[in-house]
Amino acid sequence: MSQFSSQSQRGGVLVPFEELHVPLLVCVALLGLVGVLVLYSVAGGDMSPWAWRHGVRLIVGFGLMYVIASADLRMIYTAAYPFFLAILAMLIGVELFGTKTMGAQRWLDLGLFRVQPSEFMRLALVLALARYFHGVHQADVSQPVVLIVPLALIGMPSLLILQQPDLGTSIMVASAGLSVFWLAGVSWRYFMAGGIALIAAIPIVWQNLLDYQKKRVLVFLDPERDPLGSGYHIIQSKIGIGSGGLFGKGLAQGTQSQLNFLPERHTDFIFSNFAEEMGFVGSIGLLLLFAVTLIIIFRIAGEMRHPFSRFSVAALGFSLSIYVIVNLAMVMGLSPVVGVPLPFISYGGTSLLTFMAGMGVILAMQRQNTADLPR
Amino acid sequence: MALFDTDDGLFSRRQLILAAAQGGLFAILAGRLHYLQVSQSETYSTLAEANRVNINELSSARGRIRDRFGHVLADNDQRFQIVIVPEQAGDLEMTLASLQGVLALSDRKMRELRRRISRSPKFKPLVAVDDLTWEDFSKFNLNIPFLPGIEAKEADKRIYPHKEASAHLVGYVGTKTAEDLRRIGNIVGDVVGRSGVEREYEEALRGEPGVRHVEVNAYGRTIRELRTRPGEAGDDLHLAICADLQNFLTQRMQGHSGSAIIMDVETGELLSLVSTPGFDPNEFSRGITARKWEEMLAHDKKPLMNKALRGQYAPGSTFKMLVALAALEAKLIKPDEKISCSGIYEFGGETFHCWARGGHGPTDMVQAIEKSCDTYFYDLALRVGIDRIEEMAKRFGFGRATGIDLYGEKTGIVPGRDWKRANYDVGWRPGETVITGIGQGYFLATPMQMTVMTAALANGGRLLTPRVTKQDGPAEGEQIDIDQEALSVIRRGLYAAVNKPDGTAYASSLLINQQRMSGKTGTVQVRRISMDERETGVIPNSELDWHLRDHSLFVGYVPHNKPRFAVTVVVEHGGGGAYVAAPIARDAMVHLLQSGRFDTAPQATSDIRPASDRQKDEKKAPGGETL
Repeated sequence: MSQFSSQSQRGGVLVPFEELHVPLLVCVALLGLVGVLVLYSVAGGDMSPWAWRHGVRLIVGFGLMYVIASADLRMIYTAAYPFFLAILAMLIGVELFGTKTMGAQRWLDLGLFRVQPSEFMRLALVLALARYFHGVHQADVSQPVVLIVPLALIGMPSLLILQQPDLGTSIMVASAGLSVFWLAGVSWRYFMAGGIALIAAIPIVWQNLLDYQKKRVLVFLDPERDPLGSGYHIIQSKIGIGSGGLFGKGLAQGTQSQLNFLPERHTDFIFSNFAEEMGFVGSIGLLLLFAVTLIIIFRIAGEMRHPFSRFSVAALGFSLSIYVIVNLAMVMGLSPVVGVPLPFISYGGTSLLTFMAGMGVILAMQRQNTADLPR
Repeated sequence: MALFDTDDGLFSRRQLILAAAQGGLFAILAGRLHYLQVSQSETYSTLAEANRVNINELSSARGRIRDRFGHVLADNDQRFQIVIVPEQAGDLEMTLASLQGVLALSDRKMRELRRRISRSPKFKPLVAVDDLTWEDFSKFNLNIPFLPGIEAKEADKRIYPHKEASAHLVGYVGTKTAEDLRRIGNIVGDVVGRSGVEREYEEALRGEPGVRHVEVNAYGRTIRELRTRPGEAGDDLHLAICADLQNFLTQRMQGHSGSAIIMDVETGELLSLVSTPGFDPNEFSRGITARKWEEMLAHDKKPLMNKALRGQYAPGSTFKMLVALAALEAKLIKPDEKISCSGIYEFGGETFHCWARGGHGPTDMVQAIEKSCDTYFYDLALRVGIDRIEEMAKRFGFGRATGIDLYGEKTGIVPGRDWKRANYDVGWRPGETVITGIGQGYFLATPMQMTVMTAALANGGRLLTPRVTKQDGPAEGEQIDIDQEALSVIRRGLYAAVNKPDGTAYASSLLINQQRMSGKTGTVQVRRISMDERETGVIPNSELDWHLRDHSLFVGYVPHNKPRFAVTVVVEHGGGGAYVAAPIARDAMVHLLQSGRFDTAPQATSDIRPASDRQKDEKKAPGGETL
């Protein structure tokens, strides 16, 4: 508890702004502002209904990020398991009391607002696993006994989310967890074996997929098989991006999105709108912005002394990049349609807050690289 | 450059592999972007130009709202709109000028239209003129060749045939706003229920949207329809309201500012819910002008407020029944015990007046209710104490929402010791108990709460949840813990108040098919009468400014012997309850009983009065009524 008192003596809950990693902050702010801009454009050049709310959430998110970045590293370390258990309890709560929207049970109504615990799970799982492997000696890491607990940590939430059903988020959570395995040095043989098992399991998984999920995969393989139905999303999205050309059609002037050709154009398909109106130059610019953000995060990870921080930062970075890659691959017709938002840009409160909280964790770890942690 | 300089070799190797994989995937994405946006750009641009299938959601017809006998209270009609696509209008200025010429639009309207055009994408159709008359629509059609990029469309329009009579009850629809989207989520169509039943039952009325696949050109103009899956129209909603009675009451309340409610005391169904003055909801669905709106907001009789739910008044003498019930329950008085009224009641150095200057003499409980003797209840209130009064008022539903299926009801105030301390930071004074005994002072109630109370007095203590819609299942409500003997004493008082020559509402008594009305008047003072004024003579209401006059109240029910319908009339600044509110209630009840639409004929009922009482009454009152 002594760290606590020493911090409060320095005055307040928040650390001075200068102690934070400014380049990373700038990247996050730029990404969020791109989100406001695109949402403004998607609404036909109107701050309502999405852009202003995204802006407000951004400000709230920055507040949250700052608070987390100011937290004591030992506290984050101590809170890792309880936090995981709390989110797991919320996931079970969704299963029991959740609100159904669009056929899936993902929301938990907390009276004042509704949250999607599955989004928070990604962060909670990474921290819990990082803490677990922090305490495991390098030499023991590949022993089967050691891997039972962390596998359960990944399995429980992934299956719960799959149950909702939300295949996209489930894969995202599982992959974030597995990235910690990889970073912690679990033998690549396990990954090989897992991969082979996965391929072997495809027929079984296929049997258990819901109709709409099967349809999405089939339509991905051949979008033209249902141009007015599910394939419509992919075709229209590609047309939107392609017709943007080198410099785009201009803000709020994209015919594809403004004429309602684009589906879910303020959430999962927001990049189509961006690419149509900003063109190749703008799209590559956005891709570069994401790349720079990721490089900064991976550099921070490389500098980390403690395994806990190292695993957490790298896995959070990896998870962010997977979101970007899966989302962009989807809207460009390179992967099946899975409901995954574009970080910081898609409209949606829980997703934005989770990414901001993740950034807060990275900032806190970067700031306290010299602090002591138990092993 | 050492991108990952760490002493942990394994970690940096693993991380490098991850980073490399991600870098590779990013490169693939960039390559794909290049392929789509640079290499294949022309192909996709052509596709976008030729993009022909546009999927639109269609709003379905809104369900009609009907009264309990099927009369339509809210219906749908067609309206004509003129829609402009600026990009296709050729010389936009010239086209707009021709449009103005054809339809004789005002300069202000044109300025507003130009502003809207400048703010929306050029290819997006926007409504230039809404709700055209048939004449204008024909004129427009004749001139179509000179108006490129402009076309006429048909859309649904909501009409309210009963106009003012249904204004507060049925409510109206309006164009959806950001606030509506927050409240009910994104909906198809541009119309949403704004108030009353239209708002409360929005979801049921709206129906399921349909989907239309249309072929459009590059500018979004529809070439032809490919296929349409029509939506499902909203269900018709059947209200418990009787439109005929509603209209009658609205007529009868004309010129007054106030509200009137009629409720079924068995089911809680509302037969009528009137608030005056009203407004014409059709003006709202047409789009009301800002000036008219301002005017209504500023109006001193508040036409936009549903006074039945949102008006809060001291209940006055209509509250005396609950003081009597509290006294009976605490066994602090017997029904036949007399309290003497001299017209003046002294307590704690203050003088309280009975409304009858000469006083009522010795008065028992039934007589006190009959004549609305203030002195009797001053004394009773002091015996009972504020705590029991407060508790009894809350038991009968005051101080909280009735739970009616309409938005926005107020809860009123039930004062008490805790309430006083919380709101005024001082303790309760006994003098305040005295005036609370006659329903004055801090006490505030809505007409709907008074109706629920009256119904509970009439039906043996069932506190009902009022409903504007027809109820299939059993009535919602709770049985409150109350002595049935005590209730029958109160009902005898209410019977006497209307049907005995000395009763305050005797002038409003009625007799139809051997059925009579029971009830209680209330006259609520809104100003303080000074000592000087008492000496020189109280200024009559007719000589006071409107807003200083007394509120006029009446609560009652028919038939007296087997209650079916409760009625509440509140006329703001109407004067004495007996002179304004009671006659309105009587006329409404006469109308209801004579209409023959409701089965209220007396059946063989058990007589709940002591035999001695009955004989007394039967000698005096004609008509052979039993209580």
